[in-house]
Amino acid sequence: MDCYTANWNPLGDSAFYRKYELYSMDWDLKEELRDCLVAAAPYGGPIALLRNPWRKEKAASVRPVLDIYSASGMPLASLLWKSGPVVSLGWSAEEELLCVQEDGAVLVYGLHGDFRRHFSMGNEVLQNRVLDARIFHTEFGSGVAILTGAHRFTLSANVGDLKLRRMPEVPGLQSAPSCWTTLCQDRVAHILLAVGPDLYLLDHAACSSVTPPGLAPGVSSFLQMAVSFTYRHLALFTDTGYIWMGTASLKEKLCEFNCNIRAPPKQMVCTHEFLHEVPAASEEIFKIASMAPGALLLEAQKEYEKESQKADEYLREIQELGQLTQAVQQCIEAAGHEHQPDMQKSLLRAASFGKCFLDRFPPDSFVHMCQDLRVLNAVRDYHIGIPLTYSQYKQLTIQVLLDRLVLRRLYPLAIQICEYLRLPEVQGVSRILAHWACYKVQQKDVSDEDVARAINQKLGDTPGVSYSDIAARAYGCGRTELAIKLLEYEPRSGEQVPLLLKMKRSKLALSKAIESGDTDLVFTVLLHLKNELNRGDFFMTLRNQPMALSLYRQFCKHQELETLKDLYNQDDNHQELGSFHIRASYAAEERIEGRVAALQTAADAFYKAKNEFAAKATEDQMRLLRLQRRLEDELGGEFLDLSLHDTVTTLILGGHNKRAEQLARDFRIPDKRLWWLKLTALADLEDWEELEKFSKSKKSPIGYLPFVEICMKQHNKYEAKKYASRVGPEQKVKALLLVGDVAQAADVAIEHRSEAELSLVLSHCTGATDGATADKIQRARAQAQKK
Amino acid sequence: MFTLKGNRLPAADVKNIIFFVRPRLELMDIIAENVLSEDRRGPTRDFHILFVPRRSLLCEQRLKDLGVLGSFIHREEYSLDLIPFDGDLLSMESEGAFKECYLEGDQTSLYHAAKGLMTLQALYGTIPQIFGKGECARQVANMMIRMKREFTGSQNLIFPVFDNLLLLDRNVDLLTPLATQLTYEGLIDEIYGIQNSYVKLPPEKFAPKKQGDGGKDLPTEAKKLQLNSAEELYAEIRDKNFNAVGSVLSKKAKIISAAFEERHNAKTVGEIKQFVSQLPHMQAARGSLANHTSIAELIKDVTTSEDFFDKLTVEQEFMSGIDTDKVNNYIEDCIAQKHSLIKVLRLVCLQSVCNSGLKQKVLDYYKREILQTYGYEHILTLHNLEKAGLLKPQTGGRNNYPTIRKTLRLWMDDVNEQNPTDISYVYSGYAPLSVRLAQLLSRPGWRSIEEVLRILPGPHFEERQPLPTGLQKKRQPGENRVTLIFFLGGVTFAEIAALRFLSQLEDGGTEYVIATTKLMNGTSWIEALMEKPF
Repeated sequence: MDCYTANWNPLGDSAFYRKYELYSMDWDLKEELRDCLVAAAPYGGPIALLRNPWRKEKAASVRPVLDIYSASGMPLASLLWKSGPVVSLGWSAEEELLCVQEDGAVLVYGLHGDFRRHFSMGNEVLQNRVLDARIFHTEFGSGVAILTGAHRFTLSANVGDLKLRRMPEVPGLQSAPSCWTTLCQDRVAHILLAVGPDLYLLDHAACSSVTPPGLAPGVSSFLQMAVSFTYRHLALFTDTGYIWMGTASLKEKLCEFNCNIRAPPKQMVCTHEFLHEVPAASEEIFKIASMAPGALLLEAQKEYEKESQKADEYLREIQELGQLTQAVQQCIEAAGHEHQPDMQKSLLRAASFGKCFLDRFPPDSFVHMCQDLRVLNAVRDYHIGIPLTYSQYKQLTIQVLLDRLVLRRLYPLAIQICEYLRLPEVQGVSRILAHWACYKVQQKDVSDEDVARAINQKLGDTPGVSYSDIAARAYGCGRTELAIKLLEYEPRSGEQVPLLLKMKRSKLALSKAIESGDTDLVFTVLLHLKNELNRGDFFMTLRNQPMALSLYRQFCKHQELETLKDLYNQDDNHQELGSFHIRASYAAEERIEGRVAALQTAADAFYKAKNEFAAKATEDQMRLLRLQRRLEDELGGEFLDLSLHDTVTTLILGGHNKRAEQLARDFRIPDKRLWWLKLTALADLEDWEELEKFSKSKKSPIGYLPFVEICMKQHNKYEAKKYASRVGPEQKVKALLLVGDVAQAADVAIEHRSEAELSLVLSHCTGATDGATADKIQRARAQAQKK
Repeated sequence: MFTLKGNRLPAADVKNIIFFVRPRLELMDIIAENVLSEDRRGPTRDFHILFVPRRSLLCEQRLKDLGVLGSFIHREEYSLDLIPFDGDLLSMESEGAFKECYLEGDQTSLYHAAKGLMTLQALYGTIPQIFGKGECARQVANMMIRMKREFTGSQNLIFPVFDNLLLLDRNVDLLTPLATQLTYEGLIDEIYGIQNSYVKLPPEKFAPKKQGDGGKDLPTEAKKLQLNSAEELYAEIRDKNFNAVGSVLSKKAKIISAAFEERHNAKTVGEIKQFVSQLPHMQAARGSLANHTSIAELIKDVTTSEDFFDKLTVEQEFMSGIDTDKVNNYIEDCIAQKHSLIKVLRLVCLQSVCNSGLKQKVLDYYKREILQTYGYEHILTLHNLEKAGLLKPQTGGRNNYPTIRKTLRLWMDDVNEQNPTDISYVYSGYAPLSVRLAQLLSRPGWRSIEEVLRILPGPHFEERQPLPTGLQKKRQPGENRVTLIFFLGGVTFAEIAALRFLSQLEDGGTEYVIATTKLMNGTSWIEALMEKPF
């Protein structure tokens, strides 16, 4: 550690670059790299190598070979290239290898050399061939840009959601541009190209000529251009050996220098060395003779370990400046940027040392840094080979890092990281187990039973595991039986059902939907089944599933009345059939004959249902309907759909007493109700004469109090009194009070010696007129009490 | 915000139109009509549809058939399962729930109930014990257990608020809603109908009393009042037996006028200020008192009528087991005088339930009388009532009701309406069966009434939902348990009152929070079961 800054190189006045070796590559390369097409994925991703890409011979032995390595050079896959000639290789953000062929076809491979899919860059590209291609990354994903033999550009900004865009023509472009690159500005991909001394910017609408500000004169051609990962900065290399660097918007120049090399660089790939700007925190601490608080703290801690009193001096110095907090933060931050665990440790130790002298330093940043570094060190390990920097890791997020481990099938490490970071199960362990299971179902040499069992054993009821996703994967591999077995473990029927339907296991889907209780899900399956099966089979299926049957009936009630009838028929549900036809008699039929016919069908159904009452009632209704029609014909007026009771009342009100009597007899209206009916009707007519005649026709089955009441209701006290005298003893007091004969009511009550009646009468004694009566009652009461 | 109506939408200068609807097919037709007429009108608007509480395939299919599905930019759901009505009361307000569950075998509302319960548990913690009685209760519990399995892992760990959940099928207790509720709130509901905690009342009694007005400008529009426990006075009297309301109101009247008299004693500026600061509260109290005095007068007019008395007498006879097996004179007279059909049906059903079904002869007689008087179309309604078990022939010639009544002490002769000691005060003698079941569950437990539980329809069960050790409650001595009681198929205000009474008992040991598919009474219940084919 004598000279920590030995690998630092100054860049300008204020920045340093440093470079150190990450891995000594383990690969056994037979060819020179320059004979290969090489693509290294960003963020410490894999490296792809296509050997012999340009050999045109047909012999199988010299066919190109595609090798994929981890960033540390561990071989991941190797396959013989059997497709067409490849122009360019590149990795997508999802770590999929995109191989752009000369014919414009793009073949997509996984990390393990597994073929995923392919797509074409369009007809124009196919016809004119691919001259050059670039794979680039935007915030939406990874894109492909193609330069065709006709010197036109075609690009897709996101291969996940392929939309091809043919860029406008560059005026006067006869040969290939000397160099070009993709830019991404304002969320839109552009192409910057150089034709001799001219620069052009292509967007989807137009081609515009651009000039970098402050460009040195004398440039006759741009040979190379490079854009930074963030699309913020751009470097141009000219035939004069001059390099211009500025913003990618070409609005500002940052620097320029002359390197006096005129030959264009061929292809630069940096794989096993790591070159980056020294982060500010590290610079502060390690710069020679730095007096930054972090640097002092590091010194203090070292002296402390040496048990030297200098430790105290350094510490005092920091504290006097009030910079201890800052010092600790610097050390923590700098630790993050170190690759060597030793260096990380010593910085963290210094931070921890400094923390002891601070009252309230929130522990989070220290704890998190320790955790992050452990994770980073683990994935940087040679065997894993993901050399992420701390900043890259933070940008990538732990979720994506876990995804990448999963992609590399490093399930145990991923799980260990989840457990170490105590990630919630759903986002952590469960998700990784689910991925493992998806991988497992693709192992075709293992039997369905064994795979299902193995998966269930490991996953069990781990929360958040979607068995349906795993099943879908199994189904995707053509293992339907395995998929069904796996679905058995899926607790969410909402997830089971669609997949079962897709696999054409509709009946199983139906029982699962029913189990869930989610009626909408049941309907989904039912409508599916209805189209899939013939009517007979469909009905049979329903018959075995009462819940589904009820729901389907509900559906039919609203949508398909005829089917509802068929369903009842199938089940011999005559009671419901009867009700069905009753409804039909109202809904569908207007002519009386039609209604009667519908009712007859209903009555027959009720007989079959052994519901004699309903059958007879329906027959009565038919009789009444016919009769009402006849009454309308003969007497005029409206009778149809009146109740029997109202029909009789209407007849009485119309003066057709004989007919009313006849009807009452025909339909055997009970005497009591008939008396109420007549009484009400005659009072309504105020036909007092007829009412009196009626009251005397025989002894009233309802007594005479109703007569009193109804007369009083029509304010006819005179008539009411006639009946009050005929009211039986039990209700006499009530009747007399109704007609306002308080005195006589009192007499009757006294005679009855009924306390209840006495108080009732007393409550009616109002005003002076009843004073005597009231006294009389009080006397009677007193007497009763004496006894 | 407009109510859904056919034809054209009300004119409004807006771009976006959002439909909030229950997923019911007939509503889709109305919406389609709206959208189509809007499209014809010219400048296109953006339509969105939100289904409450859940999207439905059938509804979307119907919209598609009507050719308007594509007009909706968003089709989403608003999962409002349980709507809070009061501090201790939640309702799904699903009118059709009882009919769908018990007549049509459609469990959609049960699924929604289970979903609602899962939401409650997500907010207030897993309920450690589930009890239930009835077929639907069993279904809901099954769905909950299933859903819990589906949600494993995503549960947040919350200290449970509820100790128990009691799921009760309405058809376990068909009796209670049929009887006339006699609490203040129950009577308001019986007579005027409380809709979404609002009641519309005849305006005459609420006319401002101005001198020299001569009563010529009587308001004609119904007086609309909101009823909930936020109103202090209402909270105090809503659950009392109506006969105990009058004395409270007059006591309040004295207190309030005394408070207003205080102003004469206010001498110093400070005292006057003090008095003035209390004025808004006092005025609100006086307004509230005036309203409830008017309502009580309106109700009293009804309850003191002879017919109300006669009806109540018959109901009480039935519930106490007198003459339940023969044709009742009063019911006969009601039919003969063509009283409201719902009133008649309530009484006939009450008699049937109190007799474990009617003798075939009696049943047929009633049915025939009803059909002849009110029209043959009501045969469909009668069939519905029979399917629901409200009206039925006695089978096996055995009347189980007396056993149930005695074991569960459903009829109490010595009821105290003013200072109740038992839940039976809410029906002046009859203790609601459903609430009795809840009461017996908390003490001494259902094991003591196994025999009766077997007579009542549907299974009874208990399920445990294990809690992680950290969340298990350590009960303080004297701390009440909280039971969430869910009435599947509806609950009446009298039952709610009875449960609140139990919650307030000093040595009760259990507090109740009530949830239901619908707040209802006998009238709205029967009405939902009626079928009018034309």
